Parts: sequence; structure tokens; C-alpha cells
Amino acid sequence: MTPSGEPAAPASAADDAALVARMAVRDPAALREAIARHAGPLHRIAWRMTGEPQEAEDIVQEAMLRLWDHAPRLASRHPAGTSAGAGLRLSGWLKRVVTNLAIDRLRLARRVSGEDVPERADDTPLADAQIEADERDGATRALVMALPERQRAAIVLTYYEELPNVEAAAAMDMNIKAFESLLHRARAGLRQAFVTLGDAQ
Amino acid sequence: MSAAGHDDGVPIVPGSPLARALDDFAVPSLSAGFADRVLAAAEARPSPLPELRRSGGGRGWRLGRRIAIGAIGFGALATAAAATGLLDRFDLPAVPSPQKVWASLTGKETVPVAAVAPVVPPPADPAPAVLAPVRIEGRIDTPEELGEAFRRIDEVRQGRVEARRQIIDTRIESEIERRRAAGLPLPTPEEEARVRQRIDDARTRREGLVAERLQVRREELLQRVENGEALTREDIVRPLRDDARALERTGRLQRLRRMTPQQRREALRQLPAEERRELIEAWRQRRAERWAGEAAADTPTPATQPSESSEPPAAPPAPESPASRSGTPGDPSAAAAPP
Repeated sequence: MTPSGEPAAPASAADDAALVARMAVRDPAALREAIARHAGPLHRIAWRMTGEPQEAEDIVQEAMLRLWDHAPRLASRHPAGTSAGAGLRLSGWLKRVVTNLAIDRLRLARRVSGEDVPERADDTPLADAQIEADERDGATRALVMALPERQRAAIVLTYYEELPNVEAAAAMDMNIKAFESLLHRARAGLRQAFVTLGDAQ
Repeated sequence: MSAAGHDDGVPIVPGSPLARALDDFAVPSLSAGFADRVLAAAEARPSPLPELRRSGGGRGWRLGRRIAIGAIGFGALATAAAATGLLDRFDLPAVPSPQKVWASLTGKETVPVAAVAPVVPPPADPAPAVLAPVRIEGRIDTPEELGEAFRRIDEVRQGRVEARRQIIDTRIESEIERRRAAGLPLPTPEEEARVRQRIDDARTRREGLVAERLQVRREELLQRVENGEALTREDIVRPLRDDARALERTGRLQRLRRMTPQQRREALRQLPAEERRELIEAWRQRRAERWAGEAAADTPTPATQPSESSEPPAAPPAPESPASRSGTPGDPSAAAAPP
């Protein structure tokens, strides 16, 4: 379900291999085409993971630049017109990069701030302001943001991006059993937070 | 929806309150010019580094290559150890020695390699086999076996006497040569003959004493065998050497003889009083025996006779003539049962 994102442009594996081959020879038009094809879904993931517009755009930009950098290697491993090229799934590769980048930035922010990123009320005026801003953004966002980053990624990939569990696990570099366990805990945490939020309201 | 039930982890059903709440999480669109910014950043981005050259391929190949290198290295070390005989030294039964492997290949019997003998200047005349120590295996319970043991002991003893005589002759000649090279006065042929005669007499006298003691000892052993007692090697050899303190004392006297008089006095001073008294007493006994022998010989002392024989009693272990240096007259084991 993609309630507010752009519909992903359908792209076959052969198109992905040809696109990567063009980027390998440093064709800017190929990069522009890749951005048009994949940036929307990537931005949705990044946004729902971080909740920050600028941060989400930075993550997507970094992912596209990594694709630009890795294009020669990807093209050599998956030549267009071959079975290896047919196995290339650029959207999966990019979603994995974006998910990892988002988790890394969330962890870095938590390390730098020394506290949990989600809503944690304390007595400082700045924290109050942040909580008020979050309340203004909506209770739903608070629900998702309250999850730990990996659980949040599991919900974003499976619920919002409607990825099968196998692909979502691949995007998070996990085996399927571990991912399903993580997803189970994420759903449970989400439901508990939703009930708590309803009680509070 | 239960807050903490077992169904908390089930998929979120579309249209449920939670799903509706989640669907409210709207995503803004990308800012305008996003693609242009990415393209500009890509143009400004430095070209990526070339891929690392890994000839081995993937992780599995690298691991396999390490295992192969380890196995080859271990094999090389094991081969080197086997080739150098290190495994024989550790006496590993599971690892055959190179000789055994070669024998199994060629079908020949393995010939044990003789141990490297210590480098000893061989005597000129006596046969080396004669100098081999007598080994008595098993018990001796018949007079014939005892006689055979005595015969073999005498063979070795005779060989040692001959070797000792050669050493004495060599020392005398080297001493004369040294004096000639140093320009010192040389003994006349008559004086040299007198020295040799004196040495021979001392040796004859010493051997006679030892032979007497040996004869007594052998008769005693023969008597024991005839009485039905079985003798071992220790019965024949050890009683002649059981005085360990005497052996130690003899060795210490020999060491003292090689010192200068000053060193000898100092060494004696550093000994415990009891040991010093024992050494002095032993030296006095030997001196008395030597003087008795000289009186019996009744020959004048030539000019080449070492003057240390008249050393004062403060330095008891006086050096003796070459004949007495080569053996210990009071030690019957040196003549009766070689080590």
C-alpha cells in the first residue's frame, strides 16, 4: 500500500541491466532515468524511517550516488543480455542501500544525542517543543517513530512498500526466519503503542 | 485488539483501526530539482577507485587457499623434520624414519647407523678392538664363564697398558722436542735411558701391586662361583669402585696437579677443613708409596726429571712423572675392570 507515494515505475530486469550498463559508461541520462524510476519509493522508505524531509532526501541522493559509483562493478557482474543481467534487481539493491543508510543515520543520531530518538518526554523546553511538533505531525507518525529502527524498517518495507518477506529480509541483510521474528515483534510493538495512544487520547 | 495478546504479531489487516492510522502517515514528494542536484553531485564526485585485485576470487577460494598453504607448509616442515632425523630423536613410533621408508621401498634390511664416536687420538699400535670395554651380559655362574670374563678383562687391560706406554713415549719425545726448540739443555742418551728405565720400573711395580690385589680378588670371586653363587657385572666391577669418595678424591688430586702452586694453595684454602685434611692425607700416602718405590729403584735423578716431586707439603698433590700421570696407581679399577 502506498498511500501517498508515487507509483513505482515498472522496470524489468533487462531494463535494469541496460540502465546499469549505460551508467557504467558514465551516461548522465541513465542516472536521471534511474532517479525518475526509483527515487520515489526510496524517498518513501527514507522518509518513513527518519521522519525528516531533508534527511530522507540526503539518504536517497546518497543511494543514487552509490549506484553511480558502483555501476561499473554491477555492469561487469551483470552484463546486459545475459542470465546474470536478467537476475539484476536494481530496486532491491537500492532499497537495501537506503534501509541501511537510514538505520545507520538513526543510530548515529542516537549515539550523538545520547538518548532515544523517539518521543521521550523530559523537562527541557526543547524536548517539549519537539513533542509538540511531533503531535502536530500526527499520531501515526509517532506510532512508527516509536519503534526501534530495525522494527520500523520491517514495518515500512512490508506494510508501506508491500514487499514480500523474502525481499524485505534481503533488503535488511537478514535471513527469513530472523526477519519474520523481527516483523512479529514490530507488529506487536506497534499494536501496543496504538492501544496506549488510544488510551491516552 | 488486545494490547498484549498472542495475536499482536499477526499481519495488519487492511481497514482495521491500526491500518487506518498507519495510512495517515503521508509522505511528501521529493523537492523540485532533486534529480538535477543528484546529477550535479555525480559529476562533481571523484571517479571511484578501481576494484581491488583479488586473484583468488570469493571468500571460499581465499579460505581454501589458506588451508592449502597451511597443509603444504606443515607437510614441508614434517618432511624437513623427517629428513633431518628429528623424528628419530623424539622416537615417534607412528612416523617412520627415512631409513625405514627407504628400506620399505628397496626391500633391504635397515642397518642401524653407528653412533658417532668421540674424537680421540687413536693410539698408534694397539688394536682398537682391544680397547673396547668388556661387557658382561647376564649372570656368571660357572668357573669357565668367570675365566672368560677375566680373559676379556685382561685383554682390555693389556691394551690400556700398551696405550699408556705409547702416550708416555709420545710425551717424553714431545718434551725433548720442546726443550730443543726452546734451546734448553737436552738430556744425554744415558740420562734419557735412566728416565725411561725409572718409569718402566715404577710401572712394573705398580702393575705388580695391582696384579696382586687382582689375584686376591679373583680368587675370592672364583670361590664364590664354585660355591654356587651367580655373579653379575656389578659383583666384578663395582667392588673395585665402590669407594666413590676415593674416586672423587683422585679426580680432585688430578685437578690440583694441573694447577700452579699458588692456585693449588688457594684451592686448598677454600676447601672445607675435613676435605682438606683428607686430600693432604691421601697425598701423603701416595708420596710415601712413591718414595718407597724410588728407594727400591735406587737410581739417580736425571736432570730432566720434573722437579715438582720435591714440592713442599703445603702443596700436597705434586705432579708426578708422565707414567704416574697417565694412570692412578692406587686405583685398582683402572687396571682391573675398564669402564
